[in-house]
Amino acid sequence: MIDRFRRNAALIALLALIAAQTAPVRAADTIKIGFSVSETGALAAPSVFDRQGYELAADEINAHGGLLGKKVELVHYDDQSTPATANALYQKLISDDKVDLILGPYSSQITQAVAPIADRAKLVMLSMDANPQAFDGSHPYVFQAIAQTPQYMAPMIEFAARHGVKTIALLYQNSPFPAALAGAIKEAAAGRGLKIVFEEAYPPATTDFGPLVLKAAATNPDLLIGGTFLADSEGIVRAAKAQNFHAKMYAFSVGPVEPEFSRALGPAAEAVFGNTLWFPTLSTKGNADFVKGFRAKFNRDPDYHAALSYAALKLLATAAQSAGSLDQEKIRGWLRSHTVDTVMGPFKLGPTGLQTGFSSYVIQWQKEKQVLVWPAKSATGSPVFPHPGW
Amino acid sequence: MAVTILTLVLTGVLWGGVYLLMASGLNLIYGVMKIVNLAHGDFIVVGGLLTLTLFELHVNPLAALPAAALMMFVVGALVQRGILERLVTAGPTGELRTLLATFGMSYVVSNVGLLLWGAQVQSVPFLEGSVNLFGIRLPENLLVCSAVAFAFAVAVHVWLTRTMSGKAVRATSQSAVGAAACGLGIRRIRVLTFGLGCAMAGAAGSLTITLIPFQNSSGGPLTVQAFTVIALGGLGNYVGAFLAAVILGVAEVSTSFFFGSNAAAAVVYILFILILVFRPQGLLGRAARV
Repeated sequence: MIDRFRRNAALIALLALIAAQTAPVRAADTIKIGFSVSETGALAAPSVFDRQGYELAADEINAHGGLLGKKVELVHYDDQSTPATANALYQKLISDDKVDLILGPYSSQITQAVAPIADRAKLVMLSMDANPQAFDGSHPYVFQAIAQTPQYMAPMIEFAARHGVKTIALLYQNSPFPAALAGAIKEAAAGRGLKIVFEEAYPPATTDFGPLVLKAAATNPDLLIGGTFLADSEGIVRAAKAQNFHAKMYAFSVGPVEPEFSRALGPAAEAVFGNTLWFPTLSTKGNADFVKGFRAKFNRDPDYHAALSYAALKLLATAAQSAGSLDQEKIRGWLRSHTVDTVMGPFKLGPTGLQTGFSSYVIQWQKEKQVLVWPAKSATGSPVFPHPGW
Repeated sequence: MAVTILTLVLTGVLWGGVYLLMASGLNLIYGVMKIVNLAHGDFIVVGGLLTLTLFELHVNPLAALPAAALMMFVVGALVQRGILERLVTAGPTGELRTLLATFGMSYVVSNVGLLLWGAQVQSVPFLEGSVNLFGIRLPENLLVCSAVAFAFAVAVHVWLTRTMSGKAVRATSQSAVGAAACGLGIRRIRVLTFGLGCAMAGAAGSLTITLIPFQNSSGGPLTVQAFTVIALGGLGNYVGAFLAAVILGVAEVSTSFFFGSNAAAAVVYILFILILVFRPQGLLGRAARV
């Protein structure tokens, strides 16, 4: 706790320093890269990982001679997890701070709020928005730098099908990302001949999952799958354990991937499956160095958000370096026409800015540790299946 | 089916207990001081996060509860003595001033939470099993939370109606001038009341973090939820809040089972609107009584 306190105090000092530095006339020997971070509010936990990923990438770029011979400097402000604030901040970054490049904020909603600004300023924005509908070609300068929602749980369904799962109970939070996930889960399940025997959406504020799990249990599914975030995935597991529900497999989209999942649930987290877009042991390009560098700089383990943002800034720098200038049209053209190996795997853009190269992985909590269990070629251990009971 | 319905009703009553637990402190403060403490939810969150830290040092949440309550008592008493007591509350904008002050405080408290604990959603694994009562499974942590909530409700009710200090608090709430004229130290009574209300929020946090995961920014919604319970019951009315919490719990749990979770979220506010329209003083509310 004290460590975190110190780190945050240091962070505030750092922010004050950055704020103080933005006042003088811009130095011509640096390249300014702007973005907003949800330092406070509901999205702060993943968003701060994003910022740290950007910071680590910037450090590495500067340590290797900078970008186009100049040092890069990150300029960022707190958007308080609010789309409207982020919108105002991106306008400020572009018109007051006169940043040379921009990076995306965290979350689909906030990305949607700032995308029109990137388009108007004709600045390429690599963004953390998994929703495929956001990349229908209506934002020519906004590119996806994350996996698409439908790909998130496809390996999970594949894993379930191969392990003899026939029936599924699907619970999902009634908000854009989980709802899109639920649609993709149904499609993937239908493709593998799995039957959805129960389906229900619940509002984000739900705290009692007892009745929902009671109903789901009555349909006797092999797999209980949740389109969730952290809090609701914990609520569903608690309710399932309290009612001694017996399914062969429990799986959640976001939740088990967070270290807090096991800390909050204790033994109940054991053998629960989750989903991730990245894992520290992956043999993707530069991954081992990324994990080492992140631990050294921030004194904690990186998560997939940090890996995504790290990859995004590295990509943007590679594109500018290859284009030989900060000309946004050249950077845009280069990104669209090249496949680039990153810590996330190969980055590849479709014609409308959809990213198609990254993969998704199945993890499972075993003895208070996350084990990557699927796909088999990347696995760090074998799965516990079926669920041994609570 | 009988077992299912009984399970739903009992679970509903127990969740009612949790709602009551979260609302008790707010109710006490409003009843005595006519202050809606908008930082109430944030005090609950900080009480919970403190319990998390103690849990990581191997302290059981039930043992952490007095520590969280004591800490919030001190914070509450300081806030009352240092800030609220100094506000001019007379006149038509009096309540607005305390609202603004507690609203500002909610930001201070939640951001202190951010500095100390970070922003991640946190919860404590405690009593995750269930009690099997003739085939009806009731989660252990839910049982404990509710038992404590109902005990609090009874204790506060007895304190207010049967003891000298409780009567002094009620006298102050009915007429501060009258109470002062009778020789009561109304300033000390207000400090005690606000401190106790905050202590109850801290205690509620210690228990509910084992049921409902919190993050530093969860305070706002918790305040709204607690306020709904006390407004339904009749602001400041203890028995009313008890009744309202149980009705809400049962309505929510059974609506969720029979009509889906989305309907359950609506039913709380439908009940709330109906009460506001047909019984604006709340279920058991009477004007200016505790």
